[in-house]
Amino acid sequence: MRLHISDIGVRFNRITALRGVHASVDGGKIIAVLGPNASGKTTLLRTIAGLLVPSSGKITLDGIRVDRMSPHDRASKISWVPRIAEVAGSFTIRRVVELGRYALGPSLVRVDDALSQVDLLDRAESLWHTGSAGMRQRTAFARALAQRTPGGLLVLDEPSSALDLQHLQSMGTLLRRCASEGDIVIAALHDIAFAMEIADEVLVLKEGQVVLAGQVDAVLTPSSLGGVFGVDLTWAMDESGKRHLVLP
Amino acid sequence: MKFRTLSILVFLGICLAVVAVFRILITRDVDGSISLAFPEEQFLIYRLVPLTAALIVGAGLGVSGMGLQVLLRNPLASPWILGLSSGAGLGVMGNLYIEHTYGSTFLGGQSASAIVGAIGALTLVYVLSRRRGGIDPMTMVLVGVVISVLCGAGIMILQHAVPMGLRGSFTTWLMGSLPEIESWWRLGILGAITLACITSIAWRGPTLDAACLSDDEATSVGVDLPKIRRKLFVASSVLAAIGVILAGPIAFVGLIAPHGARILIGGSHRILTITTAMSGALLLVCADDIRQLVDLGSGRLQIGIVTSVFGGVVFLALLLRGKGRI
Repeated sequence: MRLHISDIGVRFNRITALRGVHASVDGGKIIAVLGPNASGKTTLLRTIAGLLVPSSGKITLDGIRVDRMSPHDRASKISWVPRIAEVAGSFTIRRVVELGRYALGPSLVRVDDALSQVDLLDRAESLWHTGSAGMRQRTAFARALAQRTPGGLLVLDEPSSALDLQHLQSMGTLLRRCASEGDIVIAALHDIAFAMEIADEVLVLKEGQVVLAGQVDAVLTPSSLGGVFGVDLTWAMDESGKRHLVLP
Repeated sequence: MKFRTLSILVFLGICLAVVAVFRILITRDVDGSISLAFPEEQFLIYRLVPLTAALIVGAGLGVSGMGLQVLLRNPLASPWILGLSSGAGLGVMGNLYIEHTYGSTFLGGQSASAIVGAIGALTLVYVLSRRRGGIDPMTMVLVGVVISVLCGAGIMILQHAVPMGLRGSFTTWLMGSLPEIESWWRLGILGAITLACITSIAWRGPTLDAACLSDDEATSVGVDLPKIRRKLFVASSVLAAIGVILAGPIAFVGLIAPHGARILIGGSHRILTITTAMSGALLLVCADDIRQLVDLGSGRLQIGIVTSVFGGVVFLALLLRGKGRI
């Protein structure tokens, strides 16, 4: 599996949300997309997932343009986790996860497995709208897990913003497992520590352009990120000797 | 099918049979007294026709409301939110005006003029709600409201232009009423179209479930949103239009029936469509039963009045039961 992003630009009326974005990613990698608010992270992810047609350039998955895939093909290759999930209606958590199999055919095993991985199997029959923000986020993640085909593309837009520490750690482990099965995992994140923990490479956006890209260790430094976010950052060492970027 | 689901469907079926039999048996004598008796053969048809119409209109309006609630992602959506009833009203009023001014009309009877007005309003709403090749739910709600208001203004202008007596005829139509005289072949055709639309929506139940996710999520799991929205719009509009043809604008059935069915059966749309159709039919036959019992001194109530009063109270109860969430 190879994702190729070729000089894409996205415009909404007169506003340029993205311009000149290039990238190539091979299967088995986790890419963190970072950047300040309104830098174009969600727009980039939606375009990669085939949910938004770019104004210019193209995105291909193994040579096939994602915006020209049939709904079934796209669903079988690309899974999407939104920042805020929405469900209009009275559905159980299980039913919402089952919807991940809409185009691919029902699979009780896959649904149970996904629910179990995000620690929701015992809440599966609860109504989705009665759940907390964290539960809804885990349900959306479970739906993507039930849908994904190993070796596909998993796109997540701030998937961890409502998760507690235990489920954050669990999500990191699950994303790493997906990557080890050949998936390309692309996640927009605000939690830089989490990004450093799980990502192989990062793309840093500012004002719709990629300003930094590459290996985590090379890109995520106090000076480079401080410049992008407009803050002073410094390294802090934890008890195990691991370095973290923190505000001084 | 789960045992609970089957039990609920059987229960609804029994309730429907009971209220239908009651509708046939209930007799109001000349002195106003009410009794239960099988009608004489020559009068039976005057009970079977409105009963059949109530089953068709109730089931159709219920499923139409459910479809529009999914299409517009709005629990308050009903067949009238798209300007259909006010468009139909403008058609009827326009017909009355033309007939009064020119002595004859090319639109035919009330049903024909109502359907012309309804189709005109729906076409406008559809054309003005299109965004990037598909229907935008929020735009459609707003356009529907605006078209309703404009049609309402048109009705008032035409009412102002005709004599007082003609306004009464329009007001009676506005209250809605089930036909007591209607040809069986016409009922058969409208019933068959209603059944086809309901079956088509029920068949697409899993797609409707997935369409309840946000647009991005629904698209990502493989739903062709523009296509399913087009189909829902057409099927829901046809069902509501059949309601207008047979009974005029009947309020609240399209709003209440889907919510009542959801409480009974949950949100899964394949079985919900069937339950909603049964609930809608039950509501309208019940309302027709009630109106046989109530005489405020000026004859039986129009069925639209009963559904409005009954529907309003039930909707409020649902709202309070769900602590503001329906």
